[in-house]
Amino acid sequence: MKKRVVSAVLASALLVAAAGCGNNNNNSSSSGTTTTTTTAAPSNNSADTTTTTTKAEEKTDDAAAPAASGVSIATDTGKKLRIGCWNDEFQGFFEKYYLGTKELHEGQGDYYDKAPGLPEGVEIEWVTTPSEGGAYQTWLDTNLVKNASASADDKIDFFLAEADYITKYADSDYTLNISELGLTVPSTVYDYTVKAASDRNGNVKGGSFQCCPSTIIYRRSIAKDVLGTDDPAEVQSKLDSWDKFNSVAAQAKDKGYLMTGSFQETFRVFSNNATSPWVTDGQLTIPDAVNEWKDQAKMFLDNGYTLKSDVWGQEKTDQMYADGKVMCFFGPAWYFNFCMTNAMDPEKGCSGDWGICVGPQSHFWGGTWLLAATGTDNPGLVADIIKTFTENQDVLEQLIVVDGQVPNSTDLVAKYAADSTYGSDFLGGQNPLTLYNTMTSSIKWENHTAYDQICNEKFPEKMLDYFIGNCDEATALQNFYGLVNESYGNAVQTP
Amino acid sequence: MSSTTNTVPVKHKSISYAKWGYFFIAPFFVVYVACSLIPLFSTFYNAFFENYIDGLTQVGPNFVGFENFVTLFTPRPDGRLEIINYTGNTMIMWIMGAVPQIIFALLLAVIFTSDRMKIKGQPFFKTVIYMPNIIMAAAFAMLFFTLFSRVGPVNQMIQANGGEVFDFFNNKWSARGIIAFINFLMWFGNTTILLMAGIMGIDQSLFEAAAIDGAKSSQVFFKITIPLLMPIIIYVVITALIGGLQMFDVPQIISSGSGAPNNTTKTLVMSLNAYINGASKNYGMAGVISIYLFIITGVLSFIVFKFTEPKKGGKK
Repeated sequence: MKKRVVSAVLASALLVAAAGCGNNNNNSSSSGTTTTTTTAAPSNNSADTTTTTTKAEEKTDDAAAPAASGVSIATDTGKKLRIGCWNDEFQGFFEKYYLGTKELHEGQGDYYDKAPGLPEGVEIEWVTTPSEGGAYQTWLDTNLVKNASASADDKIDFFLAEADYITKYADSDYTLNISELGLTVPSTVYDYTVKAASDRNGNVKGGSFQCCPSTIIYRRSIAKDVLGTDDPAEVQSKLDSWDKFNSVAAQAKDKGYLMTGSFQETFRVFSNNATSPWVTDGQLTIPDAVNEWKDQAKMFLDNGYTLKSDVWGQEKTDQMYADGKVMCFFGPAWYFNFCMTNAMDPEKGCSGDWGICVGPQSHFWGGTWLLAATGTDNPGLVADIIKTFTENQDVLEQLIVVDGQVPNSTDLVAKYAADSTYGSDFLGGQNPLTLYNTMTSSIKWENHTAYDQICNEKFPEKMLDYFIGNCDEATALQNFYGLVNESYGNAVQTP
Repeated sequence: MSSTTNTVPVKHKSISYAKWGYFFIAPFFVVYVACSLIPLFSTFYNAFFENYIDGLTQVGPNFVGFENFVTLFTPRPDGRLEIINYTGNTMIMWIMGAVPQIIFALLLAVIFTSDRMKIKGQPFFKTVIYMPNIIMAAAFAMLFFTLFSRVGPVNQMIQANGGEVFDFFNNKWSARGIIAFINFLMWFGNTTILLMAGIMGIDQSLFEAAAIDGAKSSQVFFKITIPLLMPIIIYVVITALIGGLQMFDVPQIISSGSGAPNNTTKTLVMSLNAYINGASKNYGMAGVISIYLFIITGVLSFIVFKFTEPKKGGKK
């Protein structure tokens, strides 16, 4: 009897330990980091996600040398350019305009001839970790800390950061001051993109190639049915306050439409206009603007003005097809290329049936910044890449003309905003830059903390239980606070 | 071996092979100590330290005594104790999956081993029922997530038949039910194989004797199969329990890590994962949860063992 008990306890101890190992495996495999090594070779199909490693093909043009930009601060010794990112947005632009991959330019001119390309023998590795749930940040945190002492091929040379968490990295010793790279802030960039990439002492740590004013993206045909007009200025006059927006939602419902495709759709508008940060001195407080969103979202779901889908959900994106019932989506210029492919579908889509207007509140959403990692062994190359994507007006102009982006250049945006011949086919001929140009001046960088991503991502998610009646509001809030405690430990105190 | 030495100072009374025994079992102990025992103790050690990352700043490790334990067992301001909630979720989802799993496996094992039925194509069926176990749990969870989503095929069928869209993953019992069902589907084959081995180990003459005495199938099952199969059943229950308490991948994927709806599918290991793989890499709190899990597992295993132990008395 005694023996058996002892053996049972021992056996269970052993199993616990063994299963513990199993969990570690799960965790490491669930982190989902993928590595893609691609090259400068124009013939190489770099869109493939399988790992391919080939040597960089020497560019024959004279534009090749990155050192031509006059950087003489440090010399490059690395043979591998290692880049941390969370999706392939920038990778696409990089391959197009820096490597000059010819296939990507098909039918779009011959800019590939002007792309600088990589120096001979340097190979690129993209390490992609999805950002959901903070996984990308976890990857960065783990690797940046040991970057200075990592072996040459394991060093991160530069990485991308998003508006939600750039503060954390810009305001740390793990990113290089751009002056150390021999760079200065170009005169053409938007102020907020500089502020976002600055530490608390005003040292600038990187730059962005884009500017992200975000608008309502409405279906013209539905707007015509509900509001009697699809003209951007007139639609705007009927949606320029939350009261008007909410009453139009009721009208849309009466006509059998949905105002938005996700209960989270307007979250970014409210949170971006918050007058207080999520966390002050280690204490979490829900900003008033976010509470206003909560009331609106509850009302929208109760009245059937929106769907239970999350902001990236298939249920919502399905509504972008021609037979969709949703009138308004919210997003900046990157949203078209990245999230509205259903609308662009040649058969089921409805390209051209879209228009944009500011909506109830001006706001911006997201944005990608390039930050040089402390310890990089390719500072010259990294400097040239940052310079190319923040300063080179030819590249930034391509981003407008070819990719329909809003580049980080006040001059170019103003130029195309005034150009009556420029218009987007997707938006039924509307010139989006005219609108964006009026919004850029109101973008402010304030109330950002290092803890924003989880708060912005998880608050709406946890509130859904309250909205649909799974629990009361207080419980849903406690669930959110519990999650913040798990994510940030003692660093953030919750009510 | 000692052919090079000429002197034979000691007389061997007998040759001891014991050292070879130790030699052969050494690899196990070396691996066990390195991969299991040391991590086990370091978990206990970590539980007493404040050790996490705030942004990019490492906090600690500072010795804080039992502070992490206190934190874990401090109720939220509304009086709920999360750890108890997570334990409850884990146990409920395990029971929902494990009870049908064991009953179903027992039934299949009896059918497959029955001399009367003589099922044909046994290897085929055995392979088929074991198959789900080979598929990765994450893939299984993804599949069910897609099947039962609001825009998935199941809801499309419901709509085609005139029904309303049912939000499976925002209803406590359907969400738990799906998780339990996936676990059941994955593990019943494995359990069947184990129980079949157990039944085949029972002396056939007992079954024959019972048949000659005119015992009914149900009598054979309850008076012979079950009692003699008890050691294997205990083993199955305990291993299933240990596996069940560590339920992680299926609910994590089904609820996208949130434990939705209203934290009713959040398990202990999901909470542990949130601490250790979250933004703060909180080793202290993760250590405390691990210890809690360890104790719960030990206690429950002991209860199962005690409860199913053959009664004493009579012959010994």
